[in-house]
Amino acid sequence: MSEGIELDLNEMPYPPPENVIQAARDSLEYLNRYTELSAIRRIRELLADYAGVAAEQIVIGPGSDLLLREIVLCFAAGRKAVMASPTFLPTVQVARRFAAQLVSIRLSQPEFSLAKEPLLEELTEPSLVIIDNPNNPTGRLLLDRETVENILDMPDTLLVVDEAYFEFSGLTFAELVAEHANLALARTLDKAFGLAGARIGYLIAGQTFLDAFSTSFAFLPQPSLQAATEALLHPGYMWKNVQSIMHERERLCRELEILGAVVFQSSTNFLLVRSKTPSLADELRDRGVLVMDVSNQLGPGFIRLAVGTPEDNDAFIRAYRSIMERKGQETIYE
Amino acid sequence: MGGSVGLKGTDGQLWKRAVELGAGPVTPERTREFLGRIRNRNRFDLLVAPGRMGELYAPKSSQVVGKTGEKTTAEDTKRIAREMVSRGAALLIFVGGDGTARDVHDAVNRQVPVVAVPAGVKVFSAVFAVSARAAAELVDVFLEGSELEEQEVLDIDEGAFRENRLASKLYGYLRTPRAPSFLQRGKECSRSDAASLESKEVLAAFVARSMKRGSLYLLGPGTTVKAITDSMGVPKTLLGVDAMVGGRPVGVDLNEKGILKLMDSYEVTKLIVTPIGGNGFLFGRGNRQFTPEVLRRVGREGITVVATRDKLQRLEALRVDTGDFALDQTFSDYIGVIVGDNERIKMEVRC
Repeated sequence: MSEGIELDLNEMPYPPPENVIQAARDSLEYLNRYTELSAIRRIRELLADYAGVAAEQIVIGPGSDLLLREIVLCFAAGRKAVMASPTFLPTVQVARRFAAQLVSIRLSQPEFSLAKEPLLEELTEPSLVIIDNPNNPTGRLLLDRETVENILDMPDTLLVVDEAYFEFSGLTFAELVAEHANLALARTLDKAFGLAGARIGYLIAGQTFLDAFSTSFAFLPQPSLQAATEALLHPGYMWKNVQSIMHERERLCRELEILGAVVFQSSTNFLLVRSKTPSLADELRDRGVLVMDVSNQLGPGFIRLAVGTPEDNDAFIRAYRSIMERKGQETIYE
Repeated sequence: MGGSVGLKGTDGQLWKRAVELGAGPVTPERTREFLGRIRNRNRFDLLVAPGRMGELYAPKSSQVVGKTGEKTTAEDTKRIAREMVSRGAALLIFVGGDGTARDVHDAVNRQVPVVAVPAGVKVFSAVFAVSARAAAELVDVFLEGSELEEQEVLDIDEGAFRENRLASKLYGYLRTPRAPSFLQRGKECSRSDAASLESKEVLAAFVARSMKRGSLYLLGPGTTVKAITDSMGVPKTLLGVDAMVGGRPVGVDLNEKGILKLMDSYEVTKLIVTPIGGNGFLFGRGNRQFTPEVLRRVGREGITVVATRDKLQRLEALRVDTGDFALDQTFSDYIGVIVGDNERIKMEVRC
């Protein structure tokens, strides 16, 4: 692991509990064997139970980013890909390469909202809409139920909602999947469950997506699968961590605002911050704190930082304060 | 006043040439629009420069400061600005472009805050409001007790500008009311790194392939638009408006009159523009040859906007400030900007 405070990849700062680690450890002695089908079936049932949907609607894969990539590869060749801008970059990059056309709707600043009409206007030909909700890197919820239903009602339109941060936002469209073949939700155990290293993602998929994925079967690594199964059997630990992160997120917001930063409202485990210091990410790194520089997506002065442990967050605040003090009374953009 | 006739400024003696070419001053309309939009009009007394420098467009109750001859000069601007400050002006308002901003800077520096109403050909400094209406909002913000902040005044080299080069340097700072949404950001220079050049080449090739043979194409200023003609092996006035039909040039460095005359000869006219980096202006800054009349005749559907992804991602929104607010409002929606091969970003347009 690298040295320093790592707030750049939106990870959960707390390690998995002992029972999850032990489950992964126990699986190591079976590494000469492929994962048993029953274990795959088991985790699909647990995920279905957790998401409140039927097990048949669950597709598992090695990370939600790779499942999103598969969706683009399966569907985008003859379709217009429609996305938000900014959004999760790896999905944009694959859509740029493989979609017939790519149209991005720039989020409206300063609140970073997604305008519905410009999006719906684009759906006059076969389309694949992929929206992250909440959005990365802004942390904003972009979709409500009415907008989702409007999109789903457009002819020959597929909608994928990336719900990677669902546990922090509390908003899901899972209840719509059974009755809408053209809807899929992408989720992950990387974030709230704190299993980024296990790489377990899943889709809650409508029939159109299930048909496309019927021939693919993910033999996920045994340790990952066993760790995920154990975590899903005892979700209380995850929910406790989510509460701690949300509590810390509000504290970080307050402290940053006192220091004059502009902090955007977030429904995730990270914060988007704007400062007048274009080199803020570099200066924080020099002080041992890693954050994501998102100026290439939003312009100079924007950083995204994951909410860490209270100690991590204190270290970040100290580093931020020292940068501001060195620069004098920093004026921050509104 | 030189914008619509294709001059790249009216500093020094160029205003005479602008008048010869039929240009009318834009300042009176802007000044009236600005003054008419201030909500807290009864909360201040107005000191104005004499005659065409302000008095003619201001309410009768205004107090006139200083004297000028028949023709006004930069020295008049500086002297009267200093006199206004010495008479206790709390806020200095000026209508003009970068040259006027430099004159005000020379005269009063940061002694008093300013509100800069955009009305010149070159309005690239960050000190300017995004429009006359936004300038009125800035006055209200000031009257309501806003904090102040410093904004850049740029020194654009007029000679270089007329020779198709954009050379600017930081001239100084003026203080404005703190209200970022009403202030334009300064122009950012276009990037010339390999990734940016490649990105321009890709989108230029895509746009060139999409051009229809029989249509008249009006090509606005900027390196991104020039990349399109470069891809076709055709020369382009970097900071002016050129016209093409069927891949051949039919007009170079056109003014409004030349544009309208060409439009009479073709059934379909298309206009290709790129927003100004840093502040996002599509119309009303640096391309005033595209007058409200030209834009109405082309129609919104005839306008193609191109930009590199990098330029767009640094912008909050696109902007228009043609001086015709009703026309500007017709642009206030989302517009698709071509950023690559079969790739668009839909951006909000604000006025």
